[in-house]
Amino acid sequence: MKELVEYIARGVVNQPEEVEVDEVLDEMGIILKLKVSPEDKGRIIGKQGKVVEAIRTLLRVMAIREEKKVRLEVVD
Amino acid sequence: MEEIEVSAKTVDEAIEEALKRLNCGLDDVEVTVLKRSKSGILGLGSEEARIRVRPKEPEDESGDIARGMLEDILKLMNLDATVERAGAPASRCSLNIKGEDLGILIGRRGQTLASLEYLLRLITAHRLKERFPLSVDVEGYKERRRRSLQRLAQRLAQEVEETGASITLEPMPPVDRKIIHLALMNNLNVTTQSIGEEENRKVIINPKMSDME
Repeated sequence: MKELVEYIARGVVNQPEEVEVDEVLDEMGIILKLKVSPEDKGRIIGKQGKVVEAIRTLLRVMAIREEKKVRLEVVD
Repeated sequence: MEEIEVSAKTVDEAIEEALKRLNCGLDDVEVTVLKRSKSGILGLGSEEARIRVRPKEPEDESGDIARGMLEDILKLMNLDATVERAGAPASRCSLNIKGEDLGILIGRRGQTLASLEYLLRLITAHRLKERFPLSVDVEGYKERRRRSLQRLAQRLAQEVEETGASITLEPMPPVDRKIIHLALMNNLNVTTQSIGEEENRKVIINPKMSDME
């Protein structure tokens, strides 16, 4: 799941080398913390959060198939 | 073709020279101005303009790039699927995903497929540095959906004609509503309109007023 988020994020931003995804576990499941350069934050979130929501939709497919819980957060 | 850099007295002259060297038209290339020309005084301090010209990738390669990226995404999602390019108008690239049990990739009312298509368009456009029209389908889902919506539209239109009462359909995404509107566009006995906001927007089929007089 981390790799999927990295791949799409790198394809959307202007500074792909700045893309970082941290995988953290808590009692609710997996949290993917996505970090991009400040300049790219708007690009990764998209208008009305459309881009990040679309990535979450694809993650949901993986989560259902792999019976896992996953959340995606864009962090500073 | 490879990208080249050309210097000349003016930007326009440099472009002209570059196109001559590459033997192609302005529409086939992307031009970046590296340095504008300066006229200088009495020939002193004048500088030539310098440009970089890069040939655009042909349409076909763009389609292959899009297909490659879709394959990457499916692989990263651990889905066992293949992608084929469907025969479509040359201006548009149609990618069809094939494999077993891919219903999960379509999602409710095709919403997951819509997200996948949206992201692929985004990263393809970003890579190619221009908007690239493409559509993604799963096992011909969109085509089947289109046909079944057309049948539904015809059946309901007939009902409206017979009863003279309007029928409101369930909320649908824009693509689906468009299919209904188009299907009944030439129907002389009913009219269609969309009502409601955003997620709740739905099509209503009305009897034509002239019939009610």
